Amino acid sequence: MNAAVVNSASGGAQFVFWLLAALTIFFAGFTMTRRNPVTAVMSLVATFFCLAGLYATLEAHFLAILQVLVYAGAIMVLFIFVVMILNREEVSPVSLRAVKLVGLAAGVYLLAKFVHVADVGVPAAGVVPETYGTVGSIGDLLFRDFLYPFEAISLLLLVAIVGGVVVSRSHQKEVDADRAAAARKEVEERQLHDYPLHDELAAGDDDAHGAAAHGGGHH
Amino acid sequence: MPTSYYLVLSFVLFLIGTGGVLLRRNTLIVLMGIELQLNGGNLAMLAFARALGDEKGHVFAFLIIALAAAEAAVGLAILVGLFRGRQTVNLDEATLMKR
Repeated sequence: MNAAVVNSASGGAQFVFWLLAALTIFFAGFTMTRRNPVTAVMSLVATFFCLAGLYATLEAHFLAILQVLVYAGAIMVLFIFVVMILNREEVSPVSLRAVKLVGLAAGVYLLAKFVHVADVGVPAAGVVPETYGTVGSIGDLLFRDFLYPFEAISLLLLVAIVGGVVVSRSHQKEVDADRAAAARKEVEERQLHDYPLHDELAAGDDDAHGAAAHGGGHH
Repeated sequence: MPTSYYLVLSFVLFLIGTGGVLLRRNTLIVLMGIELQLNGGNLAMLAFARALGDEKGHVFAFLIIALAAAEAAVGLAILVGLFRGRQTVNLDEATLMKR
């Protein structure tokens, strides 16, 4: 793709960009406004597919594939599993507070500023080499200049795996043990409490019997 | 397309994600909002990489995707733990550390 095409953007490329941009925003908004988590997850998958298309228009081919594989594939499957475990619809989905509204307003203000900066200070897209964004050139960069960050991220993933297992592990055995201990204690206390109560009841019974017998005798 | 279009799109995406994180009560949707935010950041990264003709942005985007995977795994694990302990996924009810 030469500079003229990139800068003035051919009609086809423009159409693809606007289509993907509109779909991305639509599906992202749809995700955030759905009550049903399953619908939200599905439209998030659609968002990620549109984003993969946008990455491809930026000639980030490797990242586009990765987006589909990792996001639309792996991460979304994780989300769907969790939705399956706890499928609950919200009663009141939105929590509105003044502070949050102020935060959103600040975000919109930041957007205005950002648009201004983006208009002024970003260099125009130039010519890129043929191999730009391919697996080969990214891999070259990743394993040469960014080897330590790459290793660090693998360590992070390992920690995340272990952390995930530890956090979501079932504590049912411990809970059961606690509950059993509490129940045992309660039974013991009740027994201590019950013996005098039992005697009282027995005495009351005797009285009643006596009264009844007395009444009977009177009759 | 001009880079600024991509940047504005990435910011709108980030804003939608932020809105979800701030306003929604369902923890699952909040995690999805965080994913949207990360994707908005990724899009800006790739747009700048394209504008500058520098592939380092792609490496950063790659690392962010890996980070998002780790974040999703831990976040969802915490969510499952929360649900086990309190039978809710409502963020407003998860106030154990407030008391």
